[in-house]
Amino acid sequence: MSHRSDPVLEPDPVLDAPFGAEPEPDALIQAAMRWHFSPETGSPFWLRTAETFDFDPRRDVRTFADLARFPNVVPNGVGWLSVAPSGPHVFGEFVGRQARQRGSARFTVDLDPRWVRKVLADGRPEEAERYAEHVIDQAGRILETQDIGVLVTTPPLLERLARRDDLVKLVNEHVRVITWGGAHMDADTRSILRDEVFPEIQIYGVYGSTMVLGAAHERLGLTADDPCVFDPYSPYISFEVVDPQTRRPVGYGERGQVIMHHISRNALLPNNLERDLATRIEPPPGQMGDSVADVGPVAVFDDEPLIEGVY
Amino acid sequence: MADLIDLDALGPAGPYRARNRETIPDVTGRPVAELSLVPSLFVRRGMAALHRADTLPADRRAAALAHAGQIFATGIIDGMSRDEYEHTVTRVCGLPISVVRAATDAVALAAQEAYASADAARPAAAVDDWHDPLTRQGRALWTRRGNVFAVHAAGNHPAVHSLWLEALALGYRVAVRPSRREPFTPHRLILALREAGFPDDSVLLLPTDHRVADEIIDGAELAMAYGGDDVVARYGRDPRVLTQGPGRTKILLDDPDWRSHLDVVVDSVSHEGGAACVNTTAVFGAGDPAPVAAALAERLAAIPTLPPEDEKAVLPVRGAAAAHAVERYLLDHAGDARMLLGDGSAALRPAVLQLDRSDAPQAGIELPFPCVWVAPWSREDGVGPVRGSLVLTAITADDALLDELVAEPTISNVYIGDHPTYWIRPGIPHDRYLGEFLMRTKGMIRD
Repeated sequence: MSHRSDPVLEPDPVLDAPFGAEPEPDALIQAAMRWHFSPETGSPFWLRTAETFDFDPRRDVRTFADLARFPNVVPNGVGWLSVAPSGPHVFGEFVGRQARQRGSARFTVDLDPRWVRKVLADGRPEEAERYAEHVIDQAGRILETQDIGVLVTTPPLLERLARRDDLVKLVNEHVRVITWGGAHMDADTRSILRDEVFPEIQIYGVYGSTMVLGAAHERLGLTADDPCVFDPYSPYISFEVVDPQTRRPVGYGERGQVIMHHISRNALLPNNLERDLATRIEPPPGQMGDSVADVGPVAVFDDEPLIEGVY
Repeated sequence: MADLIDLDALGPAGPYRARNRETIPDVTGRPVAELSLVPSLFVRRGMAALHRADTLPADRRAAALAHAGQIFATGIIDGMSRDEYEHTVTRVCGLPISVVRAATDAVALAAQEAYASADAARPAAAVDDWHDPLTRQGRALWTRRGNVFAVHAAGNHPAVHSLWLEALALGYRVAVRPSRREPFTPHRLILALREAGFPDDSVLLLPTDHRVADEIIDGAELAMAYGGDDVVARYGRDPRVLTQGPGRTKILLDDPDWRSHLDVVVDSVSHEGGAACVNTTAVFGAGDPAPVAAALAERLAAIPTLPPEDEKAVLPVRGAAAAHAVERYLLDHAGDARMLLGDGSAALRPAVLQLDRSDAPQAGIELPFPCVWVAPWSREDGVGPVRGSLVLTAITADDALLDELVAEPTISNVYIGDHPTYWIRPGIPHDRYLGEFLMRTKGMIRD
């Protein structure tokens, strides 16, 4: 275990261990405690949360077993409601596993996004509208009759739910965590949801792809003014943000297209160019590849100058 | 760039600066402003707030509108004086400064007159307040068809924002989606309306990209959408949407002494930078069109090419690429028309094109600069060639023809004699009264 003269300002090399040279577990845990709970380097979320602990993580959390002292960020024992695609879609499957792991009752409302795309392609937006409202109606009945503490859904459905004053009220009364994924959420929508619609609820995004068999979770402790940063489950899943033409990395803070890799014993799925744009973000110590923020679709350029007519 | 103008969305809880902002350039491409583009969720919540909001009493609406007109024309709004506002609009949309200045006064006048102007649409037999003692005998009551009105505004000319003020006068709550070509005028106007007493949740500015635009219309009971034939085709069948499509304004020149009317024709083509729906797009002349076209070309060719902020500027200016796109479009569609003018520089120089028959389809091509088609016409052609006109100025002594023109349903406004097609006054309908769309009558009797 290495010691440095100023361990809190420089990330411990243990946290930056290269791929293939994974640190000894207790060393990792102790270095992580120093990093996340030092005022200089800890995130606002953990520093704030630590004030409620009856232990000092830097002093008292030294081994794998000590991790049990932490309260769960995601609550146990409350109902989970997943309003998301199931079946072949990876998103719903992950949710189910998470809920089972936490011993929670899981309620589901299924959704077939391929049907929605089909009716939209057929030029029948009213039908897509009816279908989406039908999904929200079902979610509403579960929210009315069950104690739902965790809501998992997609951004378009969350926005649709946010239009119903009665459901917003129910969610604000019962739900403690909202997890969204499966589609993009722009920064303004995220901030309105956090600050105005669900001000007391923790809202986390998940950014993943079936192509890499997994997802990245939104970094904990971000404020509404921070970009929505996703850290992948490194080293097994890793991201790069590149210029789509040259495939060279863009600079930190710049926009580029996302490339994903999955490297594990189960599978090798390298170099998947996603159809997403994101801001390249400096990774946390020890992570392979980039973190990403403000993931969005490849820009749609519209409002092209209309030639005919004066308008 | 620290000196960019921030154009915030104006939501139900006040100004909103989005993280998603679009840079608005001037005609040279230099960034001038950043326009906040709001997401769907903001639009939905804004429209819901409009539905929940109260309507101000009629007398307060009238007073606030008049006051807002004054603030719009003279006030410092969001740190911007009238001069700065007009200069910015000129540099961004390329309209001559004199046109923009006149538009400021026109909008201010429209605000002052909005209540009276809207009321001009009320049927003579109808009262506008159910408390009116006349309802005791049984009467028609004039009432709104809804409470929330949406506008997809145009950016071709600042004075397009005169019209929706009548909806506020009639008691509607209003959401305006500005054109990204010229968002300054509705931003200034809505801030002026708020300062004059309209609550924040009664009039909104919702700049959005195209994907979200329809949600503003969906969230309203009635809407008005400006645009080309595509917009008319898209919304034309929706009875909730009033479309404001191409004007296809025309002049019928049925006078052997046509030269004595040349001033009105030149003026109708080139006034307002040629960029308004009430600018003349086609001239139909009795007899040979060649001398008419030649005379028009000579007069229009004398207009100087100047930057739009020049006091003497008459022509609109566009970024070079946009100007060339307009030129290319015109050349692609001119067909066998004889081109007498047009060089496609960044200032859009006038174009005069001569057609050899009265039913040539090119006569319906309306472009945002002084561009006019000159076609032959004879009495045997009758009304046919001038159908589908927002404004028709008819210079003729043929009373029977005038009867036909006035009766023609596809001509919105008929001006007889030497009246330019851009003539417009509060209280005179522009394309029907807006009140014909926004209001209905109810039968009423009470004890």
